[in-house]
Amino acid sequence: MRRELGMLLALVLMCIALWTSNSDFLGASNVVNTTRQISMLGIFAVGIAFVIITGGIDLSIGSVVGLTGVIIARLSSTQTGGLGYPLWIGISVALCASLVVGLIQGLLITRLKLQPFIVTLGGMLLFRGVSQTIVDGGVISMGDSPLLGLASGGLLRIGRDPLLGWPLLIFAAVAALGAYVLHYTVLGRYIYAIGGNREAARYSGINVNRVELLTYVISSGTAGIAGVCYAAYIGQMSQQVGVAYELYAIAAAVLGGCSLRGGEGTIFGILIGASIMRVIDNGINMFQVQYTDPDGVRRIWRLNPNWNWIIVGAVILVAVILDQVVHMVQAARRLREASARRPVAGPPNNSPPVAAKSPTA
Amino acid sequence: MSAASESQMRPLLEMRGITKRFPGVVALQGVSLSLRAGEVLALMGENGAGKSTLMKILGGVQLPDEGQISIRGEPVVLGSVKDSKAQGIALIHQELMLAPNLDIASNIFLGNEGVKGGLLAPLRRAKMNRRAAELLSQVGLSLPVTTPVARLTAGQMQMVEIAKALSTQARIIIMDEPTSSLASAESEQLFEIIRRLKQDGIGIVYISHRMQEVMDLADRITVLRDGRYVGDLERAVASHDKVVAMMVGRELSGQYFPEKRARTSTEIRLEVRDLAVPGAPARASFSARKGEILGFAGLIGAGRTELMEAIFGVTPALSGEMTLDGKPYRPARPRDAIDEGVYLAPEDRKRHGLVLPMSVAENTSLPNVASYAPLGWLNRKTEQRVAEQGVERLRTKTPSVQQAVVNLSGGNQQKVVLAKWLAMAPKVLILDEPTRGIDVGAKAEIYRHMADLAEQGITILMVSSDLEETIGMSDRVVVMHERRLKGVLERHELTQLAIAGLMTGRDHGAAERQAGEAEVALS
Repeated sequence: MRRELGMLLALVLMCIALWTSNSDFLGASNVVNTTRQISMLGIFAVGIAFVIITGGIDLSIGSVVGLTGVIIARLSSTQTGGLGYPLWIGISVALCASLVVGLIQGLLITRLKLQPFIVTLGGMLLFRGVSQTIVDGGVISMGDSPLLGLASGGLLRIGRDPLLGWPLLIFAAVAALGAYVLHYTVLGRYIYAIGGNREAARYSGINVNRVELLTYVISSGTAGIAGVCYAAYIGQMSQQVGVAYELYAIAAAVLGGCSLRGGEGTIFGILIGASIMRVIDNGINMFQVQYTDPDGVRRIWRLNPNWNWIIVGAVILVAVILDQVVHMVQAARRLREASARRPVAGPPNNSPPVAAKSPTA
Repeated sequence: MSAASESQMRPLLEMRGITKRFPGVVALQGVSLSLRAGEVLALMGENGAGKSTLMKILGGVQLPDEGQISIRGEPVVLGSVKDSKAQGIALIHQELMLAPNLDIASNIFLGNEGVKGGLLAPLRRAKMNRRAAELLSQVGLSLPVTTPVARLTAGQMQMVEIAKALSTQARIIIMDEPTSSLASAESEQLFEIIRRLKQDGIGIVYISHRMQEVMDLADRITVLRDGRYVGDLERAVASHDKVVAMMVGRELSGQYFPEKRARTSTEIRLEVRDLAVPGAPARASFSARKGEILGFAGLIGAGRTELMEAIFGVTPALSGEMTLDGKPYRPARPRDAIDEGVYLAPEDRKRHGLVLPMSVAENTSLPNVASYAPLGWLNRKTEQRVAEQGVERLRTKTPSVQQAVVNLSGGNQQKVVLAKWLAMAPKVLILDEPTRGIDVGAKAEIYRHMADLAEQGITILMVSSDLEETIGMSDRVVVMHERRLKGVLERHELTQLAIAGLMTGRDHGAAERQAGEAEVALS
């Protein structure tokens, strides 16, 4: 939990800093909007956590987000390029497609023993191309489809905006279910065991293939759910929807304490990680410093929006560097303590005990 | 005869005519084995004799091509790990099969959570923890069941494995070299538990290369060679030589350990003074002579590996001095040590000693690859020639030097590690557990090579947890305990008792200690 709590602290500090620099940060519309962004990212970040904890990786989820949205637009839009079927058909087909994608990739990885990175890299490109083909390189608008209400609607309205938007509620449900499965069920235990020691899991009689297959289906499935939300939110579906989202999800997972070696990570951490990713995005727009220039004119200094990726990348690196430094310092301290403790347990010895205290000399 | 005693007469486990073929090799050819309840059956054989395949068949990991397995007289098919467990068979692997990121209780019940309802059934942690605590006390481990396995010592992990076996109500427990990573005290504890399991009527198949253990523990010994059943020996009639003869198919000529040289040189090769190794409370001082085999005895965790890593520059020493042939020697990284002719064959050869998917030739040239490429590109012919020389010199069994090291047996892998350093004219060769997991025949060969190297003036620092080996091979022995040097034993002092005493923390007798110090001071 060390990593999670550290990140929670960082998140809180970041929010306070943003709020002091610009009080609009905690204004109703920004909060609602940022929460929606966190929720939509969080939904599939929870999914990819299942894969990452087994020691796998899923690069295709950004494309699955796009594919889902594009399928809904193509089937259910009443605008140009849409086939005008009822919305429920579009959504069902899209969700099924996402599950099938996960199933196929999972089968390739577990049955043919292909590397997850390669399989899902192929999937990422392939499904992006499928999306492009479906929209024929253009844009399909959802028009004023009732689907849009999914992104803007919710419970407990405050003014124009709902306090609990549907995406947030969906995320809460996915996260709760994910936390339950991962932390309280047999499946969750197996997922951690596979990430910790695959052979041990196999020799313990765990059907490793089946569990891994399931994680890829879960990952892809949550990307599908997120895809429905993004379709509702964006409303104009093109091949560009969801590009690089898998990297956001992986970054959220890593920030939240998942190890890409597997065996580590929690849903709580994912929640924190996804929040940090989106607060940074939002913060780059919100952060401002007011100052008076030499001519006595009050001016506002803002971050250059071109720095977006620089800042996101730097935050990820700083986070893992800090984590590793803390880890190394702790390990060194444990070692020192252990060696300082040992002589007491041993018999009296002719070497001076002072030596024990100066290993850093 | 009562029904109970009759069922005791019937073997708990019987394997008959087991044959298993792999593409190109017959791993097992008509092997038979029987195990009675409450019996320890030692399964012996050189590496490649088929022991692991037999184990995998029992564990349900592989199906035999031919043959029959019956348990308590009932024929069974062990088609999966689950089947095998259901029949009361538990395997304890040499490389422990635990998930380090999970706690003890989770590991004990991994794959056997005791809840109905498939994968999505909720875990019952309180019940698992309670039951795990009971099992831990049965194996004499007093640790909280929520301790992550990553924090345990090798010995404690072994106990967790046994607790795991007991949790499945196993009646047959198969242990593959359970002591290979344990120190003597931990091994003793293990033997104690094995004896207790016997009393409970559990049958144990015990695979080990350590003859002494087998002689102490086993009721019967089954010997395999080249995938065939050679024979059974009752403990009463078994002797060290007899078993070895059955394993290698010939009487090992004369002695197992090569004759020790009459005198080693008095020239000091490596001198270590007040070396502070990270994590060790006391500074270490010792010296090693030219052409000497200096043994390092101690329990696991006594700090021997750490000391060797400091000498090889993996974790540089914090303070203190070292001299090599009288010149200051202070390696900050392995490269420095290698440049000075100090080489390490690490304990875990698969992880630190070799690049398994690479070929024999590539592994041999690895530390010195630049010298094969004077003009910037790699001279594969030279590489191959040097590797072939190494193979010839050490009589490594490999179809060619292009063979991937992963396909060689443990003994031959170790020879590749040795060849790699021999190609570079070593001054000091550090061998950390040089014969771990290596079969008897190959062991004798490694010993002979070590003696040859010492004869050529190479100084060998040998870390070994096998006392027989330490005494058999060393000219002198440094004993460590709790990360301190406890004493240096001269050749005439080398007895199991003397070493074991120091290893377990007993103090060197005053007179001997003075002698030891005088020795250290002199050198």
